[in-house]
Amino acid sequence: MWELKEYRFAASAQEAVALMRQGPGTGAYIAGGTDMFLHPAECDFVVDINHAGLSDIARTPAGDLFLGAATTLHNIATNPLVADFAEGMLIEAAAHCGNRPVRSTATIGGNICNALPSADMAPVLLALDATCYIADADSQESLPLVDFFVGPRATVLEDRLLVGLALPAEAGTRRCASYKLTRSAEDISLVHVCVALGIEDGKIETARIALGAVAPVPMRAVLAEAQLVGQSVTEISPDLIADAAAIAAGECEPLDDHRASAEYRRDMVRVLTRRQILRALHDETTITKDSGGTVA
Amino acid sequence: MKIEMELNGRPVAHEIAPGGNLLSVLREIGQFSVKLGCETGDCGSCTVLLDGEPVNSCVVAAARAHGHQITTLEGLLGDPLMKELQHEMVVKGAVQCGYCSPGMLISLYAHFKASGDLSEHALREALTGNLCRCTGYVKQLEAAQTVADNRQNESGGAS
Amino acid sequence: MSDRKTRSAVGHNVDKVDAFKLARGEAVYTDDFTRTGMLTAKVLRSPHAHARIVKVDVSAAMALEGVIDVIWHTDVKAIAHTRAGQSYPEPSPYDTVIMPHKARFIGDRVAVVAAETTAIAERALKLIEVEYEVLPEICDMDEALTRTDVLVHEEADPLGIGGGGKSNMAAHIDKQIGDVDAALKTCDLVVERVYHLPRVQASHIEPHISIAWVDEDKRLIVRTSTQVPFHLRRILARILEMTESQIRVIKPRVGGGFGDKQELVVEDLVSVLALRTGRPVRLEFTREEEFIAARYRHPQRITMTTGVMKDGTMVANRMHVMADTGAYGSHALTVQGNTGQKVMPMYPAPNIHFLVDCVYTNNPISGAFRGYGAPQGCFALECHMDEVAAELGMDRLELRLKNHIKLGDTDPLSAKLGEGKEGLERVIRSTGLDEAIVKGCEAIGWGQEKKPSAPHLKRGVGMALAMQGSGIAGVDWGAATVKLNDDGSVNLAVGATDIGQGSDTVLAQFCAEELGIPTEKVLVLSSDTDLTPFDVGAYASSTTYVSGGAVVKAAVKVREQLAEVLGSHWECDPGDIVFADSKSTGPDGQTMTMAEVALFALYEAKIQPMATASHMSNESPPPFAAQFADVEVDPETGQVQVLKFVSAVDCGTVVHPRMAEGQIEGAVAQGLGYALFEEVLLDRSGKVLNPNFLDYKIASALDVPPLVTILVETDEPSGPHGAKAAGEVPSDGPAPAIVNAICDAVGVRNYRIPATPERVWRGIKEESPE
Repeated sequence: MWELKEYRFAASAQEAVALMRQGPGTGAYIAGGTDMFLHPAECDFVVDINHAGLSDIARTPAGDLFLGAATTLHNIATNPLVADFAEGMLIEAAAHCGNRPVRSTATIGGNICNALPSADMAPVLLALDATCYIADADSQESLPLVDFFVGPRATVLEDRLLVGLALPAEAGTRRCASYKLTRSAEDISLVHVCVALGIEDGKIETARIALGAVAPVPMRAVLAEAQLVGQSVTEISPDLIADAAAIAAGECEPLDDHRASAEYRRDMVRVLTRRQILRALHDETTITKDSGGTVA
Repeated sequence: MKIEMELNGRPVAHEIAPGGNLLSVLREIGQFSVKLGCETGDCGSCTVLLDGEPVNSCVVAAARAHGHQITTLEGLLGDPLMKELQHEMVVKGAVQCGYCSPGMLISLYAHFKASGDLSEHALREALTGNLCRCTGYVKQLEAAQTVADNRQNESGGAS
Repeated sequence: MSDRKTRSAVGHNVDKVDAFKLARGEAVYTDDFTRTGMLTAKVLRSPHAHARIVKVDVSAAMALEGVIDVIWHTDVKAIAHTRAGQSYPEPSPYDTVIMPHKARFIGDRVAVVAAETTAIAERALKLIEVEYEVLPEICDMDEALTRTDVLVHEEADPLGIGGGGKSNMAAHIDKQIGDVDAALKTCDLVVERVYHLPRVQASHIEPHISIAWVDEDKRLIVRTSTQVPFHLRRILARILEMTESQIRVIKPRVGGGFGDKQELVVEDLVSVLALRTGRPVRLEFTREEEFIAARYRHPQRITMTTGVMKDGTMVANRMHVMADTGAYGSHALTVQGNTGQKVMPMYPAPNIHFLVDCVYTNNPISGAFRGYGAPQGCFALECHMDEVAAELGMDRLELRLKNHIKLGDTDPLSAKLGEGKEGLERVIRSTGLDEAIVKGCEAIGWGQEKKPSAPHLKRGVGMALAMQGSGIAGVDWGAATVKLNDDGSVNLAVGATDIGQGSDTVLAQFCAEELGIPTEKVLVLSSDTDLTPFDVGAYASSTTYVSGGAVVKAAVKVREQLAEVLGSHWECDPGDIVFADSKSTGPDGQTMTMAEVALFALYEAKIQPMATASHMSNESPPPFAAQFADVEVDPETGQVQVLKFVSAVDCGTVVHPRMAEGQIEGAVAQGLGYALFEEVLLDRSGKVLNPNFLDYKIASALDVPPLVTILVETDEPSGPHGAKAAGEVPSDGPAPAIVNAICDAVGVRNYRIPATPERVWRGIKEESPE
């Protein structure tokens, strides 16, 4: 049983930070709580942010998407404002995070703040250039999500509060594909690959390859991304895609654990990255199904 | 600390430990349909509705129920949809040891209340949070499919 | 032959007798019950795999407000016993005491706290100081077999079953028919392979839970989630130095058992604490404790050596089982015995050799789990049949058809090997195996070309045959009491233990059938050692066949009593009275409803129509299964998707078709996990790495593929209304059928399960290095 002395409710982000710093003793923020009850924080009190006005989903006229930190995964998976974003890659990730009752309370902020290497929402948010908004007592700061993770279960937050995430709209066409490799249907990911390609004038203008569960923190395979930039989507060669995937496999730093070996994880980064690039380009490219780019 | 919640439509006040989960509180006050199975949010035998959404009450803080509506199977025994689900589960042979049944019924109830998606895959998805070790989920899905078919027939057969 | 049309209850999908209350979430399980002043118990577990418990300082824990009692080994008399819930004398080593002086695995009992609340009990555990003398541990099976300098058990087993005191052998079996070595030399082909079976956990959703209290007559009452109430009472009486009359065991509804509750797991602790404190005490395992301190299916390494002639005739077959019982040997001998005895008779070669070395290690404890050794043996044998067929260049179905056991055959092993002693000869008097194979092949599309759903995938099919038993011949028995009430309903009291499988319903159907009344007129009580007659309990696929036999006999006796009463009333031969459709009809058309008969018997004849009957069988007729998998494999990732799974099962007369299907479907879901993703992982010192459902995956609704379940009816002459068992046999074939299908798809065999994506990937990679 979780030995907490006090359960506090915050009505705003600022109040949450104030309650956190008020003492006595140490505190932790709690939203859905689904992970907190698995690994109870060693603290005296928690600050509940479910009523702090952080549960909104919004789209700007320009198409940018804002997700409040306390937005539940179920809400993301079913919200019409999210449905078409990034070709549905975001709802796909949210809908495969935990099981249905878990998604009713688990929040996107919680998934990110736990900072597990295998956090299901992290790769998709990284691939979509998410920016984090962080509240201090009377100020707010933003930083790219890629800088948010410091190590396994460690973030830049300290006692500050993640209030939300902003995802920029695609400039031109964005092609996305992702895959979460698991042992059974509903499971922690062994390897998670998300690919987002920005396409303009028939060329790959921007490339994002984000990987989960293969490094101490969710990561981007920037060298592999660089291989793809500038390539024509109709003339890109399968070999080049395979090379990029192999580079991504070289970039990751997987560990051996009881779920999978580092060797397997690394090879899966290669296989799944190649397949996701092919899937993402599928509508645009002349590469046929025979190259193994259809399923996975 | 003291919480006040609306349990099955009635106001309930209860003294809780700040770190306690909703599951233990509900059992303490006699909601025995809410079962302890894993306390990690994986098996679903403690599924209840929090403001109408299915949640694993083992990984929801009891404090969080303060000011909210909680619905357990006990609160739905008179509900026509729940009765239909229970009937089909029994008739189809979906109840073996029965320990997971209340949680499954709550999950299916929430699914039918919320969703228009009555495909087999959607019904399987609706049950992923409820582990059953006795059956192979075949009979539960048959029961759910029958309820889905009934609803489709009622709404004029259009899908 | 069974004929559903002439039967009113047997063979029909009546409502399961307890289903509505379960679907209403009524308070029916052990924990849905409280008593004033009830304490919660929590166990302090050893962090060491092997360590003497020198001293336990409980003073700080006892000083904590709300802590009522703390016990460790100096507080409880050490009486050697086995926790295995088996008939007396149990064929398991007496290697266990309530509180050990030496921790033998990470998780062994060190101390137990009883406190006012769970939170206080948990706080108290942290205040207990333990002085350990850490000993070298032995967690590897082969090391355990060869080393004698480190002994998991230093004391000799009083019954001489285990090797305690001299070696780490917990059970050894060596049985031979013919001469396998000599026969192998005469064979055209000898195939030897090694198969590896994982440690898996039953994962019933209701954890182990018991509540004990001392009642106003100073009797110990134990309300518990168990499969074996009568064995429990006997074991408790012995280890608590009480008599059976001082103990009552109540089994309410049980939330699944699968063998894991065929054992005394928590009942002794709540009993000791209730007796010491005079307060009701409750102990419920956490899910983590289920994975650390309950029981596993024994991990095994099986070497198969098989000699065949060119035409496929099997001449010699050897199975050598190396098994890890962990820290204690409950079920060590009998589970491993079953691995051969239940499995090898499928192909009754003239020369058979079955060898077992089951060792103690400092790993967590293995025990009973549905199938009881047979799923391990079936995996090895049925994979091996495919390997032999491949080496012979023969069709794998043809090889099986040529060699499998047939009607009238004598099973060669049963006479050699019973439960820890000589067994009884078994002749096959009913088999639907050939029909099951034909129907299963048709349903899976055996022999048809199957295209993968995408070009980068590979598709394959596989099959496995399985047989089991129906109870333990000459050992298992049960009794039933039937009593008629005024309104024509009957009470049926059985010791048989419904743990969710539906035995109360099946037994009610038998009773209803004999009395010609609807099943809902049968009020079933199971099981309570004060109120119901004896039964060995729910294990060994015995309830329908053995306990069902007792119910039929008891109901027939009551029917005869009624016929006697009516015969003298109507002045006719009692044998001419027919009981059907809730009434009795005399030869001259006299008729009375069952309620009228009851009133007449109770108030005119002044007798209570009531009977108790016992039943035991010297046979254990095997149910048969033919199971088939159609799979798709992604060779680049190693992922396996089962597209369809077919089970064709002969369980004799089908008493309740839907429940029989439910047994089969559930067994397939468990077998699917065994094949593909279930494995309890230990580190080198036996610490469980994945003690939760987050990391130990059991099949969810999304994992189970479309299942086709075919019931092949036969009429077993020795069974009640022709019935045999159904509960275990379908859990044997899924793993080999799926692995055979993977091999068919990609040409690489997984000798080790679960066939996780990584293992399949690695197998393919090693077979075809780039």
